[in-house]
Amino acid sequence: MGERSFAEDVKQLSYGAGDILRGEGILAITKALLQSGVSYVGGYPGAPISHLLDVLADANESLLEPMGIYFEMSGSEAAAAALLGASINYPMRGAVTWKSVVGTNVASDALSHVASAGVLGGSLIVIGEDYGEGASILQERTHAAALKSSVPLLDPRNSLQSFARFVEEGFGLSEACNQPVMFSIRIRACHMRGTLTCKDNVPPRISMRARLRDPSFSLERINLPPFTYAMEARKFTERLPAAQRYIVEHRLNEHWPGPESHIGIVMQGGLWNTVARGLHVLGIADVYGRTPVPLLVLNALHPLVPEELIGFLRGKQHVFVVEEGMPNFIERELKAFAHDARLDVEIHGKDLLSPHGEYVPALVVGGLRKFLTLAPPTAVSASTIEDHFAALTGHAERARAALPQPIDKRPPSFCTGCPERPLFSAMKILRTQEPALGDTHVAADIGCTTFSTQAPFNVGNSVLGYGMGLASAGAVAPHFGKRVISVMGDGGFWHNGLTNGVASAVYNKQDSVLVIVDNKYAAATGQHHNPSTGTNARNEPTGMTIPQALRGVGVKWIKTIDSYDIGHSLRTLREALTTRVPGLKVIIAEGECMLERQRRIRPLVRQQLAAGRTVEQPRFGVDPDVCTGDHSCMRLNGCPSLTLRDSPDPLREDPIAHVDASCVGCGVCGEVAHAAVLCPSFYEVKTISNPGWWTRLVSRVRAAVIARLAHA
Amino acid sequence: MLSEWLVDAALLDGFPVHGTSIPGVAQRTGSTTYYVELYTERGAAEPVFSLYPVPGALDVLVAPEFLEVGRMIELGFVSPARTTVIASTHRLLSIHEKIATGRAIYPQEGLQRAAETAARRLVTFDALAQAREHGTEANALLLGAVAGAGVLPVSEDAFRKAIERKNVAVASNLAGFELGMRLVRDAGAAGRVSGEPAAGASSLNEAFALEAPAAGSPDTLPADIRAVVEAMPAEVREIVGRGVHRLVDYQDLRYAREYLERLGPFVPAAGAAGARVELGGVVGRYLALWMSYEDAVRVADLKTRASRFARIRESARAGKAEIVVTDYLKPDLDEIWGVLPDRLVRPFARWAERRWPHGRPTLGQTVRTTTVSGFLRVWLLAWLKPLRRISYRAREEHARIARWLEAVRTAAALDVGLAVEVARAGQLVKGYGDVRRRMLAVHEQILAAVLSAAQLERRGGASLAVSTALAARLRQLVLAGPDGEARVGEIAAATLARLQAGDARGALEPLSAR
Repeated sequence: MGERSFAEDVKQLSYGAGDILRGEGILAITKALLQSGVSYVGGYPGAPISHLLDVLADANESLLEPMGIYFEMSGSEAAAAALLGASINYPMRGAVTWKSVVGTNVASDALSHVASAGVLGGSLIVIGEDYGEGASILQERTHAAALKSSVPLLDPRNSLQSFARFVEEGFGLSEACNQPVMFSIRIRACHMRGTLTCKDNVPPRISMRARLRDPSFSLERINLPPFTYAMEARKFTERLPAAQRYIVEHRLNEHWPGPESHIGIVMQGGLWNTVARGLHVLGIADVYGRTPVPLLVLNALHPLVPEELIGFLRGKQHVFVVEEGMPNFIERELKAFAHDARLDVEIHGKDLLSPHGEYVPALVVGGLRKFLTLAPPTAVSASTIEDHFAALTGHAERARAALPQPIDKRPPSFCTGCPERPLFSAMKILRTQEPALGDTHVAADIGCTTFSTQAPFNVGNSVLGYGMGLASAGAVAPHFGKRVISVMGDGGFWHNGLTNGVASAVYNKQDSVLVIVDNKYAAATGQHHNPSTGTNARNEPTGMTIPQALRGVGVKWIKTIDSYDIGHSLRTLREALTTRVPGLKVIIAEGECMLERQRRIRPLVRQQLAAGRTVEQPRFGVDPDVCTGDHSCMRLNGCPSLTLRDSPDPLREDPIAHVDASCVGCGVCGEVAHAAVLCPSFYEVKTISNPGWWTRLVSRVRAAVIARLAHA
Repeated sequence: MLSEWLVDAALLDGFPVHGTSIPGVAQRTGSTTYYVELYTERGAAEPVFSLYPVPGALDVLVAPEFLEVGRMIELGFVSPARTTVIASTHRLLSIHEKIATGRAIYPQEGLQRAAETAARRLVTFDALAQAREHGTEANALLLGAVAGAGVLPVSEDAFRKAIERKNVAVASNLAGFELGMRLVRDAGAAGRVSGEPAAGASSLNEAFALEAPAAGSPDTLPADIRAVVEAMPAEVREIVGRGVHRLVDYQDLRYAREYLERLGPFVPAAGAAGARVELGGVVGRYLALWMSYEDAVRVADLKTRASRFARIRESARAGKAEIVVTDYLKPDLDEIWGVLPDRLVRPFARWAERRWPHGRPTLGQTVRTTTVSGFLRVWLLAWLKPLRRISYRAREEHARIARWLEAVRTAAALDVGLAVEVARAGQLVKGYGDVRRRMLAVHEQILAAVLSAAQLERRGGASLAVSTALAARLRQLVLAGPDGEARVGEIAAATLARLQAGDARGALEPLSAR
């Protein structure tokens, strides 16, 4: 399962002391979990932390089970967070992971409870901070969630060695302060490749091989008043102070003094690499980040330690805070500390930097330049810094002006042959041809299906969260003059959609249509298994189906369609939108994720071809002399393999449709041309490799007849 | 894979190196970036690696797709002081380029020139075409180009070893690597790799097995036709030559002669210059395309040619394999009886137009044209060709053609520049069934609006700037896609209202604003 195969990574996870692991940041984190003696690991997949779960799923049988470590792909982030409950009563270490901020939002109920009761065993939450370039979700940061639950938050410097160290420190910190700890890692850091000097894996003391015997009970750990009041008090009188002590004693934050002692820069640990590079390109640091400017790298963002920060501020005239995200908690706290300590220091931050957006070098270098010219160091003149800056940026305007026109955006879209595309072709055809029915409110959902909102379909009027499409139609449906449609993927259905969507809609008698796009996987995260895939992440059969679940919560009108059959989809949508049956109508559009299907089929086809067996391979084509280049098919399809090229007849100026070699022969081109009555240009060609004697004979006869009759 | 090879090769050669990427949802056909940092001091301690490139401080940009070069230029990454750009010229068209009704493909030559301006050194070649031709991967070619360009301190052997160590399709990747290296070495210091067709052509023209109609090879034509064509200005001759061949292929010589007769009044004699020549070319082009409108007979003819099956075999790389071709045909009522004689079906057609103003009934079928029965079904239809001239469809199309030519003539009497724009409305006539009916309707709507505007302008005694701009603007709107098409009526009405009020300047302004 999963997007890639991880055999090599699984091997590296078993490395012992002194071995050198080569791989991505997220693999170093995974290895460090095993070096920390965890009893359990769980989580919900999503970029950028999917790899942690994928590689552990592959390592389950060979590595985790022998060590007695329990591993699960949890039903949702809430379920993952609730796993940490094991550490409330029992001194066992455990880790969970998810994509944040959305995962943290889903998890926050359980998380608050864990953070309130406190933990005995070290509990680490690996947060994949999906923020900035390449992010696939709304843009918020997790910092505020850590603050409101009093959960210590680590944001370490970017190197594999640093990640491993801070995972281990994270468990230590958690046990020192009895709070779960968040370990935040950015997208690019997850995928950065490097090396890690390993330690031995540590088998957990409590495990599936050394099981618990006696249940632990203490009212003090039950989240009910009056104990909740005591828990809250302990957070601030005992736990956070303990965390601060640990942070100081273990030097989690790094202070590099320098001769330019009148200025200084404070930064989030994860931004250290960018700041060091920024100083380097401005001519005030070497490639090793050695600079005369004093730096304070906050690898622990919460709790901050007042003495540590005041110590850094003391004696300085200007201090610059490089802190991604709003609100700027660190900058504000720093200003408050400086005020309380009556320090005469100017603190800069968001005044010199963008209030929003990922702190990519363009932003950070610009901010550093402003700071260093406003509070110049003694060793380097302001004009030198300006010269360095001009060398980086002077060309940009001229280069941009040379472009004939702005570059088109490239929105993410359905893959070649994706089973979801034809469904949205059908919905767009219905919207265009029968607006009285089809031009209605569509509540879209999270996952690959969200791409329906993009060109060429633009189907979907709102996106409200994972599995929340149907729920979000709740207040629209009763106010709308026609039946509204909600769309949900199978991943979203099992995550949240079954309860918050379907059960709630049935319970509240919502009269609307729900389309469940069942491609058999949580495809957007990398083809992760979900309950109706058939097997779980440990490859154990599950026997759960979507229709069963729907019937279980009282849905009466359920139709299953083959998503590639656009004609049938159109008829079924029409029926669902017009039937007199009240309540929720559910259409399940089935079609296996094409990425996964191709991954399975391609090696098989290669094998069979090599063995000389008969193989049929379909693909589509366009007759270039039949196509007139009106591009109607493009607007109902959008497949990457359906593209344009020049017409063979130069008289025709507009480019014509063309199916390129990446076509997988899913048939949607022909289906769309048929369903929308477009043109006769499309054909399917099936190549039959290694044909048997009968096929050859029939083909020869046919070819002979056609050759006699065909025009030149 | 490319970035992994680069990292591995640098490691093998003892350079401190690191790489990162952003996959995830962005990978689902969005643009994905990979970033590699290499410290040029072999064996040195690891420096602080940045996870992102710094704009203006990028030494090498490898772009496996050409538009991405433009994106990186736009973001300020490509610096004339530092950046060597190694790019494949092939294009993966963005959805916005594909869904326009006309041509909205990013201008490739302009992009090439911009890259030349922006980069310190630019190496371009169609890596995908080369890879397909040589049975390897574009990434391997690009890696070879990086090695061949000599922009990294990493040795050739280290690259080869990195490919071997990955243990994925080693032989073909090595071959691709060597080829990429050779291409760049042969190209010399800079610029386009030699032997490449001009970038504009290479990206969209995968070699056609189907021969384009010969560009007026006049020897095959009778002397009278040849004489007419040769009397035309050189710029028009090629277009008309193609048109004549197209129509002979479509119907017969008589039909081609009819084309020349209709075209005649719009083409000046050889030696003429200026807008009249342009008008001749534009009318010559769209008249030929329109007269060869794609009726069921034409489609049947094209679908049953021996050359078609050969082309399909080749594009499917069938080799020794057998092929089965299935055609998706769904003619609507108009297309079905369009092939029958006008007199026979006219009364029914009138009734059907009223009965089904939109979405006529259709006859959907999938036909296996490589089986004898399927082939015959389509092939027999092509035999109706002799009936075409008296068919219902012919009467309809030729009446519309006459209206278009009449409009061009009316415009030409006022101003040749205006006539050119009116003639260009012929570009909009395309598609099948409902799509074609929609395009024809908007085509005629534009003709009517532009001629009305011209009359109003002439009455005011002013130039015909507004009508000319209106014709161009409305055409561009339609070619931009359905959203633009929907605005045609509103913009035409607003322009006419302004002209009626005598406000020519006010009418012109919104038309010239793009």
